[in-house]
Amino acid sequence: MIKSCLHCGEDTKDLAQDFCCRGCDLAYRIVNKMGLGNYYKFRQLNHNEGKIKPEISEEIDISEFVTQHKDGTNSVSLIVQGMHCAACIWLIESILQKQENVINARVNLSQKTLLLSWKGDVAKGNELMHLIYEIGYKLLPFDPEILQAADKKYNDSILRALAVAGFGAGNIMLLSICLWFSDAWNMGEATRNLLQYFSALIALPVVIFSARPFFASAWKSTRAGYPNMDLAISIAIFLACLVSILEMIRSARHVYFDSAVMLLFFLLIGRYLDLRARKKAFSVAAEFALLSATFGRVEENSVIKILPPKNLKEGMILIVAAGEKIAADGIIIEGESEIDTSTITGESLPAKASKGSEVFAGMINISAPLKIRITKSAQNSLLCEIVKISSQVELKKNHYVRLADRLAKFYTPAVHLLAFITFCFWFKNGWELALMNATAVLIITCPCALALAVPIVQTIAISRLLRRGILVKSGEALEKLLEAETIIFDKTGSLTIGCPRLIAVEFASGEKISEIEKKEFLKLAASLAKNSRHPISQAIASIHDEKLYELQSQEHQGFGLSSNFDGKDLKLGRREFCEINYAKNSTDLRLKCFMKFGEAEVVFSFEDEIKSDAKAVIERLKKMKKKIILLSGDSEIIVKNVAAEVGISEFYFAQTPVSKVEFLEKLKAQKQKLVMVGDGLNDAPSLAAADVSISFSKASDIAQNIADIVIQGEKLSPLIELQNSTKKALHLMKENLWIALVYNLIALPFAIMGYVVPLIAALAMSSSSLLVLFNSLRMNKLKN
Amino acid sequence: MSVLIILIPLTVGLGLLGLIAFLWTLKSKQYDDIKGAANRILFDDEDDSQKKNKG
Repeated sequence: MIKSCLHCGEDTKDLAQDFCCRGCDLAYRIVNKMGLGNYYKFRQLNHNEGKIKPEISEEIDISEFVTQHKDGTNSVSLIVQGMHCAACIWLIESILQKQENVINARVNLSQKTLLLSWKGDVAKGNELMHLIYEIGYKLLPFDPEILQAADKKYNDSILRALAVAGFGAGNIMLLSICLWFSDAWNMGEATRNLLQYFSALIALPVVIFSARPFFASAWKSTRAGYPNMDLAISIAIFLACLVSILEMIRSARHVYFDSAVMLLFFLLIGRYLDLRARKKAFSVAAEFALLSATFGRVEENSVIKILPPKNLKEGMILIVAAGEKIAADGIIIEGESEIDTSTITGESLPAKASKGSEVFAGMINISAPLKIRITKSAQNSLLCEIVKISSQVELKKNHYVRLADRLAKFYTPAVHLLAFITFCFWFKNGWELALMNATAVLIITCPCALALAVPIVQTIAISRLLRRGILVKSGEALEKLLEAETIIFDKTGSLTIGCPRLIAVEFASGEKISEIEKKEFLKLAASLAKNSRHPISQAIASIHDEKLYELQSQEHQGFGLSSNFDGKDLKLGRREFCEINYAKNSTDLRLKCFMKFGEAEVVFSFEDEIKSDAKAVIERLKKMKKKIILLSGDSEIIVKNVAAEVGISEFYFAQTPVSKVEFLEKLKAQKQKLVMVGDGLNDAPSLAAADVSISFSKASDIAQNIADIVIQGEKLSPLIELQNSTKKALHLMKENLWIALVYNLIALPFAIMGYVVPLIAALAMSSSSLLVLFNSLRMNKLKN
Repeated sequence: MSVLIILIPLTVGLGLLGLIAFLWTLKSKQYDDIKGAANRILFDDEDDSQKKNKG
C-alpha cells in the first residue's frame, strides 16, 4: 500500500508517517495554524504542473526588483511555480493578506504571476517571499515590463478595434435594412438622405478608428516594397467610404457604408483569432533562466559577502553550500561533491566533482560544500552563452510565408487589375458610375472569407489539441509541421524517460543468483536506500513496496550509505566505497550500484528507460515517410543501444549544444524542413533552430518556452495525433480558401456588370464567411 | 417620420453605452486573467469576512 503525503501528495516512504519530509510537515502546520486548512479540502493536485514540495530554502534577495512608489509603498512582480488550481490562488493570497502591512496580493493564474505590494521596509518583501517558499511554491522576481511587451498592447488594440467595428456594423445594419428595401418614392427623399447621413455619421468614425491596423500594415508593407493583402483591404475600405460620401452628396440611391464597416468587422475577427494563436516573445524565457541563480556567496579576505550574479567577477572565490545553485562558471579548488548537471547537459544522473573539476553556472551542488574559483563572469557563463545562441538562432530564422500570404501575392494584383478594367469599361457612362462599379468589384472580392479561412481552422485545431494535452503555441507551427520531412529526436527525456530503472541484479563474481536471493538483496537495498534522495537510491526504493526493514543508516555524501543488519556490515553505493573488485577497467559505472552485505557482493544495473510507446510511434512516423534522426550528447554505446531498440538507423552521439545546431543548419542548407523534439537546456539552441520544435511539460523551462509545441506528460503518441490533426487542419484551410475563391469568382461578373448593390454585397460577404465557418467546424469531427 | 431624428440617436446612444462599458472592462484589465477569474468564483465568502475583521 502507498500512502500520500498530506501536504505535497507524493508517496511517503514510510507508512507510519503522514509526510514525505520535514519540509512538508512544517508547511502543513503553517497552513493549518493560519486557519487555511480548507486548502487541502478543495485543491486539485496535478503533478504534471509542478509540485508544491518545500525544498531547501535559498536565501533570496529580491530588493533589486522592488519598485518603490512615492506614497511609501513597495511592489514587486513574481512568477509562481507549482500553482495550478483555485485553491492555490486562495492559499497564496490569503496567507499574504493576513500578514501585517501587506496592501495587496493578487495572483494571475493565466500568467502564473503574483503582484505583491506592501507598506514600509523594502526588505520585508524577502520575508513575505520566504513564507510562500515554505509552503512549497517557488517564486522568481521578474521585471513586469517584459511581460507587458508590445505583443499585449497590439492584442488589446485589435480587440478594441473589433469592439468598435462590431458596434458600428450592428447599428448601421439597422439603418441599411430600411435603405435596401425601399426607394425615394416610398420612403421619401428627405428620409432616405437622413438615414444615409446617420450611416455616414456612424461609419466614418468607426472606420477611422478600427481600420488603423490595416492602414498601418498596408503602409508599412508598401514602403518595404512588398504590398500585402492589407493594401487591398485598405484600398477597398477607403474607396467604399469615398464613393459613399460622393453618392450621399448627390442624393443617389446606393451607399456602401454598411459594406465597409461589415468588411472591417469580419476582417478584424480573423485578425484577432490569428493573433491569439501567435507565439509569445521568447526573450522572457532567457530572462527567467538567468534569474534562477539568485545570488553568489563570495569569500574576500576571509569575509563572506553575498553578491547578485551580475557582480561576480573572474578570480573571485565562490562558496557553494550543499543544495545551492552554482552562480558562475569556475573550477573547484576545495571540496568534493556530486553535481546535478541536468540544466546544462540534460543528463539525469549527478556527476562526481572534486578539486580541479570544471563546473558551470546553473548546475546544482548536491552533497557537500564547495569552494570554486570563478573563471568567467556570470554574463559570459556557458548558461548565458546557450541562451544567447538560442536567441540569435531564432532571430536568424527565415521568415516563413504562410499559406494565406502565398495566395495573397497573386490575389491582390489580380483584384486591382480587375477593378481597373471595370473602371475603364464604365468610364464612358460617367466617372461616378465607373468608380462605383470598380468599388463594388473591390468590395465583393475583398478577402473577407479568405482572411477568416485560415484563422478559424487554426483556432479550432489548437483548442482541440489543447484538450488532448498538446499545447500549440503558434499557428504557423501547424502549417510547417506537415511540410517537415525530417524529425530529429534528443535522447534523454525525449525518447527515454530520463530516470534510471533497475534492469539486473547480479553477483559481482558472476555466480548465478537465485530469485529468492535476488528478492532478499533488493529488500535490503531498498530498506537502506529509502532514506536517500539520490536518483539511484530512489530508483531502488521505488521497486519495493512491501514492508521494509528498519535500519539505522548513515549517508556518506557522494559515496553511498552504510548500516548494520543481522550483525553484518551493510554498504550500498559506489564501487570503491563498497570495496568490491568488479570490472576494474571499466570507467562507465554511472549506471551501476554496488552492495556489500557481509561477504556477499552484489551489483545492481540500471538503464534509462525508453518510453513505452517510443518504438510504435517511431514506426508509425516512418510509415508517414518521415526521416528520423537521433541526436544525443551521450556516449556511443548508450546512444547505439537506444537507437537499435526503437528502430532508428541514423544516429549521432557525443553532440554538444553547438554541434547540434551546426548539424541542423547543415540539413537546413540542403532545404530540408526539420522538426526537433527535445527537452533540456542543451537542446534549446537546436529547438530554436528547427522549423518546428516540440518539447515536453517536464522539460526545462527554457526548452518549453522556445518550443512551438509542448506535450503534456511523457508519452510520445501525441506526435501521431499532431500529425493527423495538422493534416486535417491544413486540408480544411485549403478547402476554405477554395470555397472563398470560388465564391468570389461567381460574384465577380455581377460586380463588373454593375449589379452588386449594397444588399447583394452584404449578402455575399456574410454568406461566404458563414460557409467558411461551418466548413471549419468539421475539424471537430476528426476521428481518433 | 421626424421622430426618427430622436429615435436613431437614442438607439445608437444605447449601443454606445454598451461599447463604452466593454472598452472600460478591457482597460481595467478584466480580461488579463480569464482562467483565474473563473476559479475565483469558487472561493468561500468566509474569507471576505475574515479580511474585514482584520482591518
